Amino acid sequence: MNKSHRDSIFLEEAEILSHQGFAGEQFILRVQAPQCAHTALPGSFVHLQCDPLQPMRRPISIMRTSDSEGWIELLYKRVGSGTQLLSLRKPGETLNLLGPIGQSFKPSAEHTHPLLIGGGVGMPPMIFLADCLRSDRLKQPFVILGSEVPFPFSASPSKIMVPGMPEGVIASMPLLDDWGIPCRLASQQDLPGCYQGYVTDLARLWLVAMEKALRQQVEIFACGPHPMLQAVAQLAAEFDIACQVSLEEFMACAVGGCAGCVVEVSTPQGPVMKRVCVDGPVFDARQVF
Amino acid sequence: MPDSVKSPLNIDFCGMPFNTPIVLLSGCVGFGEEYTRVKGFSNRETGAVCLKGTTQEPRLGNQPHRIYETPSGMLNAIGLQNPGVDKVVDEILPTLDFTETHFIANVSGSTVEEYYEVTRRFDDSPIDAIEINISCPNVKEGGVAFGNDPAMSARVVEACRQATRKPLITKLSPNQTDIAGNAQGCIEAGSDAFSVINTLMGMAIDIESRVPIIGNNQGGLSGPAIKPVALLKVHQVYQVCRDHNIPIIGQGGITSAEDALEFMIAGAHAVGVGTALFYDPLICQKINAGIRDYLTRHQLASVEHLVGTLQLHQQTRPKCSC
Repeated sequence: MNKSHRDSIFLEEAEILSHQGFAGEQFILRVQAPQCAHTALPGSFVHLQCDPLQPMRRPISIMRTSDSEGWIELLYKRVGSGTQLLSLRKPGETLNLLGPIGQSFKPSAEHTHPLLIGGGVGMPPMIFLADCLRSDRLKQPFVILGSEVPFPFSASPSKIMVPGMPEGVIASMPLLDDWGIPCRLASQQDLPGCYQGYVTDLARLWLVAMEKALRQQVEIFACGPHPMLQAVAQLAAEFDIACQVSLEEFMACAVGGCAGCVVEVSTPQGPVMKRVCVDGPVFDARQVF
Repeated sequence: MPDSVKSPLNIDFCGMPFNTPIVLLSGCVGFGEEYTRVKGFSNRETGAVCLKGTTQEPRLGNQPHRIYETPSGMLNAIGLQNPGVDKVVDEILPTLDFTETHFIANVSGSTVEEYYEVTRRFDDSPIDAIEINISCPNVKEGGVAFGNDPAMSARVVEACRQATRKPLITKLSPNQTDIAGNAQGCIEAGSDAFSVINTLMGMAIDIESRVPIIGNNQGGLSGPAIKPVALLKVHQVYQVCRDHNIPIIGQGGITSAEDALEFMIAGAHAVGVGTALFYDPLICQKINAGIRDYLTRHQLASVEHLVGTLQLHQQTRPKCSC
């Protein structure tokens, strides 16, 4: 009996270390969750009890971790009653947290140019992935982040040149710049230094500017709203680029027990329903779009 | 029997020695191993685990959304997604550790013949008992369509009875007029025990798009919202079961030891836990500890001494429920 799956998810009373609000109903939450921090991977999420008054949990992607300090950081948007209650929680209080959960993004060894695309509250797994990729000298990642509300960080002009970018598209996430990872921002809103348009349009400009041989080294990773992921999957198919996407769905158990969070996945044997929580949330884009 | 030392939580359920009165409910714990992903969770905290509803052929289940949170509960409409009985028996059951707990199959079908065939297949397997699901509200054929018709319920039970000598547990729907009358018919047809209750049918609507949120349009309501309904149904079914020595798995919104105790006092031998696991994956430990404390406080040697000890108020005037 193979029981390797056992004891891989931890239930922790996580103390809130910091909880900061940003424009556009966005919040960045850092909690002490050492067991989760130790094993989380880019794409992992936590299933969080926002408040004892609302016992059903909410799945939230992990943005950053520190194994040495034992914390994890989450970005969420206040959209309903659960996240409304969560937004009222204060440093020093604890949150009941289940994690890390899910299959992570898996960069392939042969592709040297990962393209990371994150939209809205889909940005966190891309930042986590970028953090992991920076230690790999063979990888030269490029990150595109998109938002229709002000970004939950102070965007600043990047010090890193990126080929194919239109004039004036210079804004970046400072953390990524500090890590030496090129990044550009996109928004339909008129935000300074950002590309005015969709993340996929900016990605296209980057891909088109590349030589064909180099383009074959690209692999796309994406997380964001469903229409954005659909557009990313189409872009990847058009350029014949491997693409992994992270999906979201309403979730009850988040450990594979209830099959409430499924997505239809194409397989050679026909369509099957896969659970977003433990079979995903990361899937091959060709299988789900 | 995993634990040979007699504990106050041990019960006998249809001849099966349960570690504790807790039964993890079908549809909440996959095929028995899913929750063991959570460190600290153990199937040993339970008397039995009911596996996901199984049909003769594989089923994809319903389109998303399949679940939605509601006040004090949730709606679900999974639609019996399962890989088919052959795969469950041949590939999944051999991976389960039967020393940890008892495993109960949950049998569904669109026809009486399918119920018979799936039960027959499980009869020839290590499964400990079989639960007949004639109360699933989320499929078009079978399920609650059978469970709300007493004559059909009895036919399904009778067919399953012919297919197995293992303990047969009939899962009753609250979405029917006379649950006790239906239970009586199922006992006569050969049911050894009952699960009371399955979910209540419900709906949620997105007011912007004016479409139901659940892909199946309607779903089954579970969680604390349905607890008072479930408790009354257990009380009603117990009135029929008591004289036949037929045990009940009481279920519907149990999230604490106090809830579990209420169900046992109402007449349940065992208590089902489902939605509460979503709140707290380690809830079984807490329920067991709470029951143990209660037994100590009330100087009861066994949880079985609690079953059906409800003392109703004497009604001096004509009965009126309003």
